[in-house]
Amino acid sequence: MHAQSRADGGSMAANQPHISATTDSSQTWIPSTIQASLSLHSHAAGLCLLLIQSDGSIQHDAAASPFFDRYLIPALRCPELAGNQLLSHAGKLTARSSPTAWHLVPGVAICAVPYVERRQVQGVLALAAKSGDFSLGEDLLRLCCRLGLDATWLRQQADILPAHSLERLANQAALFLSMLTDRLRQTSLELEVNSLSTQLANAYEELTLIDQISGGMRVNRRSTDFFRQACLDVMQVLGVRGMGVALRTEKTHEEPALYGELVLSPDQVQRLAIQLLLTLDERKSCFLINDLAKDKAYGWLSGSASRLIAVPLLRREQVLGCLFGLDKLNGDFDSVDSKLLSAIGNESAIYLENAMLYGDVHDLMMGLLHSLTSAVDAKDAYTCGHSERVALLAQYMAAKASLVDAQVERIYMAGLLHDVGKIGIPESVLQKTGRLTAEEFELMKRHCQIGARILADVKQMEDIVPGVLHHHERYDGRGYPMGLSGRDIPVMGRIICLADCFDAMTSNRTYRKALPLEVALTEIRRCSGTQFDPALAEMLLQIPVDHLHRLLRDPEHLAAKQLLFQETTRAA
Amino acid sequence: MTGKTILVADDESHILSVVSVKLRNAGFRVVTARDGREALEVAQHEHPDLIITDYHMPELSGIELCRALKQDPETSNIPAIMLTACGYSLEPHDTENSGILCMLSKPFSPRQLLAMVNEVLQKAAA
Repeated sequence: MHAQSRADGGSMAANQPHISATTDSSQTWIPSTIQASLSLHSHAAGLCLLLIQSDGSIQHDAAASPFFDRYLIPALRCPELAGNQLLSHAGKLTARSSPTAWHLVPGVAICAVPYVERRQVQGVLALAAKSGDFSLGEDLLRLCCRLGLDATWLRQQADILPAHSLERLANQAALFLSMLTDRLRQTSLELEVNSLSTQLANAYEELTLIDQISGGMRVNRRSTDFFRQACLDVMQVLGVRGMGVALRTEKTHEEPALYGELVLSPDQVQRLAIQLLLTLDERKSCFLINDLAKDKAYGWLSGSASRLIAVPLLRREQVLGCLFGLDKLNGDFDSVDSKLLSAIGNESAIYLENAMLYGDVHDLMMGLLHSLTSAVDAKDAYTCGHSERVALLAQYMAAKASLVDAQVERIYMAGLLHDVGKIGIPESVLQKTGRLTAEEFELMKRHCQIGARILADVKQMEDIVPGVLHHHERYDGRGYPMGLSGRDIPVMGRIICLADCFDAMTSNRTYRKALPLEVALTEIRRCSGTQFDPALAEMLLQIPVDHLHRLLRDPEHLAAKQLLFQETTRAA
Repeated sequence: MTGKTILVADDESHILSVVSVKLRNAGFRVVTARDGREALEVAQHEHPDLIITDYHMPELSGIELCRALKQDPETSNIPAIMLTACGYSLEPHDTENSGILCMLSKPFSPRQLLAMVNEVLQKAAA
């Protein structure tokens, strides 16, 4: 009950008492299940339960004895007979009132007790009983007459009921009150457990999602793949119709993307991405709009979607990009969604930063490798571009041979560096126009080991050493430096050997002019099984001639080569 | 699927709460047990349509519970989903002679568990 109505006890009495049976579905201050169990107890004790709400309405137990139903309740309905009296008494109850019982109408005792929660009277519980002094006295007969009740019938009904003294009734009321308090506390605890469990379930959901997403956070994975998977995963958990990503990185030039059943045109996705990044530059945290139609900035989306949530990918105060969701399958976006999406945003930002750093390191390494090979090639003007071409052809063949992407990239690197050992060979030998003497040839042969030794010191290059060391082995075992044969030669060595010989034959050399492609291919066929791995040789022969030409000899093809290189390295 | 009874057995009360709330909200009737022995008794008494049980439990492990139920013709057809601790994986022979159809590693996604429950019940109904 409100403090005001408590101070002014008459305020309840001023209203017409509103009495209804507890079977009504109207809202009360206690749940109907607790009401039912209290009623059960009051029946057993021959009592009538009344619940008085703070608005002054009274609910009574519909199944109470006819003694109460036909006598007490009708009396309560008349303000001047009993209604005002009860409400006035109830209105005066404060949080500290102790149960007191009194005679409400002749032959009926009543005790009203306040139910207090957080120091406020929430409602009043009243118990009525046949009083110990019930008799067909003058007062009672007058009231029966007024209510149109047969006094003899009433007496018969009363005879079945136990009589309660005022003191006993007050005790009963105190007992009911503590029962009610316990039940209500139990209910609220159950609700609390339910709400905590729901929160915990959300936390579990979050945890598994983050676990799943960080599992996919390998830096050398393409960011498009990472974000597509992250979007699909988040979409499931948030239950949204569309989930998208927009990145702001100079390197990747990733187009913004939207996944899911909700479809926007590429222009719309682009526009949304630009706008979101600008908004997030200012807000730097998750924001949600649950009514796009009423939003000035994002209202243009309302034709396709009605709700929007977006979170920045934030690293060192820089917005690297954002994740956004459109339209939940049921209801509005709420704080649970924003908390979850923020966690995913943080996780993704870490991935993105790492991927960018990895990209930088990778670019730096590739740049250094290219300068190194250029330096080797520069020792001999005739071999200009040789390393690059061998690398490309070897990479192409490795991909054709269905090696895994990571290995294809390593073969490209091995191709680039296969002749790096030539740094240690005197230029007089490298650039000699005539035939090499046996001594000079022995010197020349050492470039394989020199190259292997140079690379062995670089931990990241260890795995390409076999390609460099063994690119002059022959399938029949008559090659150098180890004289390995057949499958004992690492596949990297066998592939680079083919690519190296093929490019050497089709390039101008100090000692001869370039052979036409067709002649070189015939030579490859002739040496298949002796110098070359027959399976790999066959694969090279299967490549269409014009394709080989484009791959190796067309200067305008350089851009395309670069693209091919990037594609395979990224995919790794 | 709603209205079906599911027995959830786990000695960790927070798991019990999370799973129960999720399933009740989805319209299932949920009965719970805090150890394998209690779970066995509840299962024999309630004849649930599905059992979700933890692997490590006092008295009777999840596997022992499922094997015991499998042996009793009254309960041998009840399918089970096993929850396992993080990083713990079961070999196929571990789940032999039990009604265990699926496994989920903790911490699990409640949404995923619910999907699994529906799938298993649909299979059982077919």
